[in-house]
Amino acid sequence: MNNLVCNLFVIFAAGLISIHSQPNQDQEEYLEDLLGVQKKIQSLLPMLKQSVVAIESVDGAGSGVIVTEDGLVLTAAHVIGERGKEMTVILSDGQRVNAISKGGSEISDAGMIQLEGNLKWPFAEMADSSKALANEWCIALGHPNGYDPKRGMVLRTGKILSTKDETIRTNCRLLGGDSGGPLFNLEGKIVGIHSRISRSPDDNFHITIESYISNWEYFLSEEILTFNKLQGGGFLGVACEKSENGLRVLSVVPQSAAEMAGITPMDELLRLDSIPLDTREKLTILVSSKQPDDTISLEILREGKEKKIKVSLGKRSQ
Amino acid sequence: MKTLSFLFFLLCAKFFLTLHLFGTTQHEKEAVNGFKVLEFLGDGKKEIRNTTLALFRNGKQISLGTLIDARGLFLSKASACVGAKFAKTSSGEIVPIRIRKRDPKTDLALLQITESSKVWPSVNWEKKRSKLSEGTWVTCSSPSLSKVYLSTVTGNLREILKEGGVMGVEFNGEDNSSKGVSLEEVFPHSAADRAGLRINDQIVSIDGLHIKSSKQIYDYLGKKDPGDLLRLQVKRKDKRLDVRVTLGHRSVTFDLFNRNLLISGPTSKRKDNFPLVLQHDAPMNNTSMGGGLFTPYGYCVGINIARVDRVTNYALPTSIIRPILGNWLKDI
Repeated sequence: MNNLVCNLFVIFAAGLISIHSQPNQDQEEYLEDLLGVQKKIQSLLPMLKQSVVAIESVDGAGSGVIVTEDGLVLTAAHVIGERGKEMTVILSDGQRVNAISKGGSEISDAGMIQLEGNLKWPFAEMADSSKALANEWCIALGHPNGYDPKRGMVLRTGKILSTKDETIRTNCRLLGGDSGGPLFNLEGKIVGIHSRISRSPDDNFHITIESYISNWEYFLSEEILTFNKLQGGGFLGVACEKSENGLRVLSVVPQSAAEMAGITPMDELLRLDSIPLDTREKLTILVSSKQPDDTISLEILREGKEKKIKVSLGKRSQ
Repeated sequence: MKTLSFLFFLLCAKFFLTLHLFGTTQHEKEAVNGFKVLEFLGDGKKEIRNTTLALFRNGKQISLGTLIDARGLFLSKASACVGAKFAKTSSGEIVPIRIRKRDPKTDLALLQITESSKVWPSVNWEKKRSKLSEGTWVTCSSPSLSKVYLSTVTGNLREILKEGGVMGVEFNGEDNSSKGVSLEEVFPHSAADRAGLRINDQIVSIDGLHIKSSKQIYDYLGKKDPGDLLRLQVKRKDKRLDVRVTLGHRSVTFDLFNRNLLISGPTSKRKDNFPLVLQHDAPMNNTSMGGGLFTPYGYCVGINIARVDRVTNYALPTSIIRPILGNWLKDI
């Protein structure tokens, strides 16, 4: 594992944004709104900070957020690197606690850590899935450049720019060390976890909280899902996007198990072996944890009608 | 153009094989620093732009300045504006300038627009005793003076200590006066590494000071700056060697996050040793320090004094600036 920890991945953005709009709201009113946002954030901060932690391991550092009373911490997969690693977690009051890494996934970059000791930990609430809406105000907390008691954890206020698949994009400026820290909405609930950045200061990427909720048990109990590990498992052969009922098929790989089973674009995948498909990552996890030639049962929605089909899985081409 | 295309530059090749395409939507124009928010800063925005100058040396912008007096007196960052001959106003007027005062403790400088009989605008200092705690909105002019940035205070108000120069070594835990202090670790690419020091080398003396304990070394180095030269006498096996070490920056030598420096682009040369700073996250660069930091209503709450990294700028708060400025204005 080369220094995965504390990595925020740089993405070079090339593009043009053309801007033209007319102000249609009173200036005074808008400034009042801004001050309202400030007030709201400042009233939430003391409570939110209690749940945010710094994470240290031998080869780097990151951030995280406690989400259960018994001390489960959400962070990024590239902060923990692998399952079963002993790590040190620093609480907001500076107290150091031993912790052990759980699972996660390289697909979404989601990861988990468990604090050790039978204590009741301060924790933050997670938002319901799909609650990260574009143009909503958001607050990023974390430890850029690592833990610094004099500076404290660092606040960034921004807006959600877009949400696509496992990724939320915001203009909350992040830096190495922020990875794994929480993105909150103005209700004080976690909507995302910091993951990657781009060269442009206003493009910052966070894992959706939905990625965690959808694959909770898997992340808790299994090894981290790596791209390497995907290679050996079963292969369906569809590209999807999240849809109202499940996952909408965008394209089907020629000669794949999906094509043989007659799956076509615009089909919606609802359940796999009776398990609801709410994220693309879940589909990948379920399929790749099977072996090539295993048979799965898929419930799909086609032209308004539900259908159940059997699919004999294939092998991922190298 | 509606779409943004992203080229992925993978710092860690194992990761992230998918390519994301994000659209630029209407609401992005309303995001922080977007068109809509800034439009609504209204008069505050005018105030900020009218009182911020860009300073030039040999045709290149090197810092910003903040007008504080109708005689064309303005503040800037002393170590960044050395040799500035001209300033440009936000309306594009170019004026000759000269330096009047300098304060090494805060890195503030007072300059003046020369050859001008004009009555210059000057900042309105924020009089309300607001706490400027985390989450408080602040604004400042963009490096090019064409825009105004909105950002928030992002960390605790605090003193920034002097960074000090480092060799990039770890000493053997056992302090034994008869054996001297030996090196347990020499960090790759550190000052010590470049000077040819090796693990197990024993430090006999530094600049003629006989070394008996590692504490002596820490005390001595605490007074030194990055770039300072040390003359070491070391014992390696049976040989005595004279070694010259040019001290490095602590943050560069030991930082786990060296890559953060790469991601961040150029930062201020002096970003340590300030009595008190406000931290904020406007997207500034190293040639835009010295400009004012304002409330959304355009009242000045500080002067930007250091760009630290991609998410961090330091500004000196008015409580630090006003006494110094008061003294300076008495002489002018």
